[in-house]
Amino acid sequence: MILTVLIFLPIFFLMVIAVLPKSQTSWFKYINLFVSAMQLGISFILYQNFDRSLSASTKEAGFQFIEKHSWIGLQLGSLGKLQIDYFLGIDGISIGLLMLSAFVMLIASLASWEIKTNEKGYYVLFLLLNTAIMGVFCALDFFLFYIFYELMLLPLYFLIGIWGGARREYAAIKFFLYTLFGSVFMLLVIIGLYFSVKDPLTGAHSFNMLYMMDTANYVKGSIFDISSGTALLFGIPARLLAFGVLFIAFAIKVPIVPLHTWLPDAHVEAPTPISIILAGVLLKVGGYGIFRVCLGIFPEGAIYFSWWLGLIGVVSIIYGAMNALAASDLKRLIAYSSVSHMGFVLLGIASTTVEGASGAMFQMISHGVLSSMLFFLVGVIYIRVHDREIANFRGLLLQMPVFSVFVFIAFFASLGLPGFSAFIAEAFSLIGAFSSASSNQLLPHWMAVVGAVGVLLGACYFLWTLQRMFFGAKHFRGGADWVKQLTDLNAREILALVPMAAFALLLGILPSLFFNLSNATLTDVVSHTLKTGSSQLQTLTNLLF
Amino acid sequence: MIETQHISTPLLAAIIALLLPLLAFLIIGLFGRRLKRQGDWVAVSFTFIAFLFSAFCFSQIWQQAPQYFQLPWLNTGIIKLAIGLRLDNLSALMIILVTFITSLVMVYSMEYMKGETNYPRYFAHLSLFLFSMLGLVLADSLLLIYIFWELVGFSSYLLIGFWYNRDSAARASKKAFIVNRIGDIAFFIGILILLTQFGTLDLTTLFGSGNIQGLVQQSKVLGDHWMVINSAGSIHALNKTYLTIAGLCIFAGAAAKSAQFPLHTWLPDAMEGPTSVSSLIHAATMVAAGVYLVARVFPLFDSEALSIISVVGAFTAFMAASIAITQNDIKRVLAYSTISQLGFMITAIGLGAWSAALFHLVTHAFFKCLLFLGAGSVIHQLHHLKHEHHLDFDHQDLRIMGGLRKKMPVTYIVLLLAACALSGIVFFSGFLSKDMILMSAWMRTQTEGSGVTFLIALALSLAAVFTPFYIFRLIFKVFWGDFRLQKIHPAHNLIVHESNNFMKVPMMLLAAFTIFIFYSFNPIHAAHGWILEGLQAPLSNFNKETVISGFVESAVPAITLLLSIAAIFSAKKAYADQKLRFLSEDNLLFQFSQRAWYFDAIYDRIIVEPTVLLSKLTGWFDKRIVDGFVNLWGNLTISFAAFVAWIDKRIVDGFVNFTGSFSTWLGSLFRRTQTGRLQQYMALGVLGLILIFVLTYILH
Repeated sequence: MILTVLIFLPIFFLMVIAVLPKSQTSWFKYINLFVSAMQLGISFILYQNFDRSLSASTKEAGFQFIEKHSWIGLQLGSLGKLQIDYFLGIDGISIGLLMLSAFVMLIASLASWEIKTNEKGYYVLFLLLNTAIMGVFCALDFFLFYIFYELMLLPLYFLIGIWGGARREYAAIKFFLYTLFGSVFMLLVIIGLYFSVKDPLTGAHSFNMLYMMDTANYVKGSIFDISSGTALLFGIPARLLAFGVLFIAFAIKVPIVPLHTWLPDAHVEAPTPISIILAGVLLKVGGYGIFRVCLGIFPEGAIYFSWWLGLIGVVSIIYGAMNALAASDLKRLIAYSSVSHMGFVLLGIASTTVEGASGAMFQMISHGVLSSMLFFLVGVIYIRVHDREIANFRGLLLQMPVFSVFVFIAFFASLGLPGFSAFIAEAFSLIGAFSSASSNQLLPHWMAVVGAVGVLLGACYFLWTLQRMFFGAKHFRGGADWVKQLTDLNAREILALVPMAAFALLLGILPSLFFNLSNATLTDVVSHTLKTGSSQLQTLTNLLF
Repeated sequence: MIETQHISTPLLAAIIALLLPLLAFLIIGLFGRRLKRQGDWVAVSFTFIAFLFSAFCFSQIWQQAPQYFQLPWLNTGIIKLAIGLRLDNLSALMIILVTFITSLVMVYSMEYMKGETNYPRYFAHLSLFLFSMLGLVLADSLLLIYIFWELVGFSSYLLIGFWYNRDSAARASKKAFIVNRIGDIAFFIGILILLTQFGTLDLTTLFGSGNIQGLVQQSKVLGDHWMVINSAGSIHALNKTYLTIAGLCIFAGAAAKSAQFPLHTWLPDAMEGPTSVSSLIHAATMVAAGVYLVARVFPLFDSEALSIISVVGAFTAFMAASIAITQNDIKRVLAYSTISQLGFMITAIGLGAWSAALFHLVTHAFFKCLLFLGAGSVIHQLHHLKHEHHLDFDHQDLRIMGGLRKKMPVTYIVLLLAACALSGIVFFSGFLSKDMILMSAWMRTQTEGSGVTFLIALALSLAAVFTPFYIFRLIFKVFWGDFRLQKIHPAHNLIVHESNNFMKVPMMLLAAFTIFIFYSFNPIHAAHGWILEGLQAPLSNFNKETVISGFVESAVPAITLLLSIAAIFSAKKAYADQKLRFLSEDNLLFQFSQRAWYFDAIYDRIIVEPTVLLSKLTGWFDKRIVDGFVNLWGNLTISFAAFVAWIDKRIVDGFVNFTGSFSTWLGSLFRRTQTGRLQQYMALGVLGLILIFVLTYILH
């Protein structure tokens, strides 16, 4: 029940807000904040009661807080029975992301207080988005997963398109189409999987993800069955093609270079709270999908494409960093730094080592917190003077000392200063990538080395920004007006920033808090990928050649 | 791995010494402005207590068995990382050195930084630096060293940029951090190699202790492979070049922090920070961290790595000394001098003269710190003068100083002592430590006789002769002759005072440590001094021990001493008596030296500018090509849709409409026949009948 409550709590309050009259508008933000706080509380209950020893990432036994109910069951005559379950459960991969989501949503709720137009619509959409996000990380039925996955798009489209900046419509449609492009093909794979997999208990076709991870459940001769031979589509084994399609669908969200260009536009145009959600949570859905779906269902693809995955990761790291260096808009700079940092996630996953996978997982959590913090900080300036051009500010440290201290913390944490979470995350991704060459021969050494150069570039663009915007004598493009408008942080802003800084510091000093949570599951994911993946890849190549 | 969670008293003392500065940082950082005297006493007293704890630690550990303390930190199944402390001779010596010098510098700073708007922040950051530095030398694993290594770089960044509203300071701090980051990345890659090969980063497991071999010493190079039975108990092999690469990567990290060629350019710029900071961080302690690191991982260096290290060190020593000769900024002279002296230490490590390197680190820490504090004392007074008389001049420029000997006698004497120590004059500390390095270099030349070792020895000796010249040039320019500032501004009555006790006492204490007696009772030979007895090089498979003996042992110190004294006299002739001129200012060699061998210009041209250009290019590429492609697809889709719409409207719908309008047209055509007149119908009927007849006839 607890997961259902977590997911649908926002829907309940959505209805409350929807029926409240306009005169009660001032309550909306408190209701929204209350929902997020409740969810954070629930996620702490989950954290407390989470059994860290369960390891099976592909079996129901490895999941906790399971809820499984038959949802749609249709007799289809000769085709058998259509079976869709309401199937929720979490393991070491999802618990961390669930907690992160609850945390980021709370911060975004605080940032939402700046929204002053059409608040009813805003909060209704915000709460809908909240439900979709929680649902994605809990759903274990692929159909249910897909519903939540698509449900995220709709509110985001409107939230960017209505409450965004000058080019909001362009950004919103770009974001929407990009993601939809990936998920349409994903739907084809889901349908293919559905017809390939049968529930071993009822014999009906099933959308159950965990069944899809076990080759024993595949119908002989079906398109994704591996035991009886393999289907070729366009001359490529169907399973590898399916991996590629799913990977691209999720990779757009991560995002990877060259499928990243929706991100700078969406981030720059979105209002601050939505930027926070985009960077803090939405990008992680991509990483989560790769872990859960791509690696879980098609592990041989992860082995087969590992070199390319690693390459994409490394290219994203360097390319994102170079673009951040070239950016003249502070928000754009941070958006590109997201591309760079998320590259480490991919590099870690590609390494197929426990260190790399843990690093990738940890990077998602860490980046979720830090990018939320960075976008929040940009929002602080933007709301005051409606400008974000780096060149238009100088000597901010003199003008806004408290604000600058938080910027310092966020920048140095992001560039991987030890003591903060990003250092641990990037170090482990790189350790994984480097040790891959000797432990499983998937990635060459140079990828880790080039990835490390990305860490250097991170220092370059962040420090350059500090030098240009915060140091030096005070000088603003807006002159005396800006001096008046650029007031230091207020209590609400400090209240939002302190937990983020504290969280990043806590994770940097005691990373085991999260490592212990995911370690058992990730160890299993890696060994599943290596063992099952390699043997299935062997089968595929034997059949092909 | 030696697992111990038992805390002995010395370990407890070390932990307290480590945590006190962190506490001071937090207290001053959070409440500094509300505290009495803005909290400077917190920093000073905590540092001094930390020094007392370190001293206790030192007394318990020196020449005793090392002690360890470890806590598990992170365990991912395959790698287990622990955090802990390692107390041995080296770390005990380092903590007492660092806390002692920091205590003195903090007292000095109370006067030197008085009246600064960000006074509490200065002490907070200095405490943070002390915490990081202590963590660095106490850490028991390479990972932990790396963590504190970066924190040291971070606190140095904060302190260099202390006057952040000056553009030059903001730029210098950024440069320092980024150049150090280059080294950090290399260091990290070295760590990756070691972790992959050995499965652990624990110092004791890797490098052993005393006469016990660690995994590194146990590893063997067989054919093309570098083999080891790693901490997990399985045989592990990498290509043998990885051994050299690992060593050089870690050395690159050290080179950045210790300002060795080619990563030395940040240190002179770092002089933008307060002089007290330069004295502590960029002369005595932080820059020595690189030497400390290479000393720690010494067994890792194979013969190739060792020779590269010694070449880099010797080149740096010579290059920096040749630059120091012509600098006009008092702090820059000292900065280049620091680089040069660090080069001596690095060369010593490369030559296997491990203990000589660390010995020189200790003696150098005292006299170089003192040189900076003395320079700071002069700068402080001139700065006051500038404010008092509302004049505009560069208070660090040697060309405006002169004749301060009488006005600042204490500063003069302590600086003179420090200069003697730096120059390696007999009875001073530098004589003992620097000559050991020189002797090792010449001894190596004698035993090996190769051209490279000769060049190394020659470069070091040249640097050793340049050293007294540039430092006495400074002394004579500052303290002898006439006060040139007075000549420039004859209208003002410029009176310079001696600094007060807050600054004088720390300097006098440091001055005591320039004397040989603290290191060895024998003024000309330190081999049996207590420091060298306690600093024994760790076991190494590649190190060729150089035993100094015979001709070199007596000739090298004697010749160096004679040349040094000659250099001092020629400096006096040139700068105190103005009777000698070497090179004119527009001479190419002079320019080459004064512009610091054009390194900054070259780096700007070949690294900074191309990187910025490349970033602009990728920015353009991203916007025009990648996003352009996306937008092109969007536009193509829209155009295609427009085309389809046209087809739909014109062709498909056109066909439908055509059918409709054709029927209408046909209808209206036939409607004309429906006139309702009988005669017309009859006529048409007859006409039709005739037509049928005619047609049948023709067809048959």
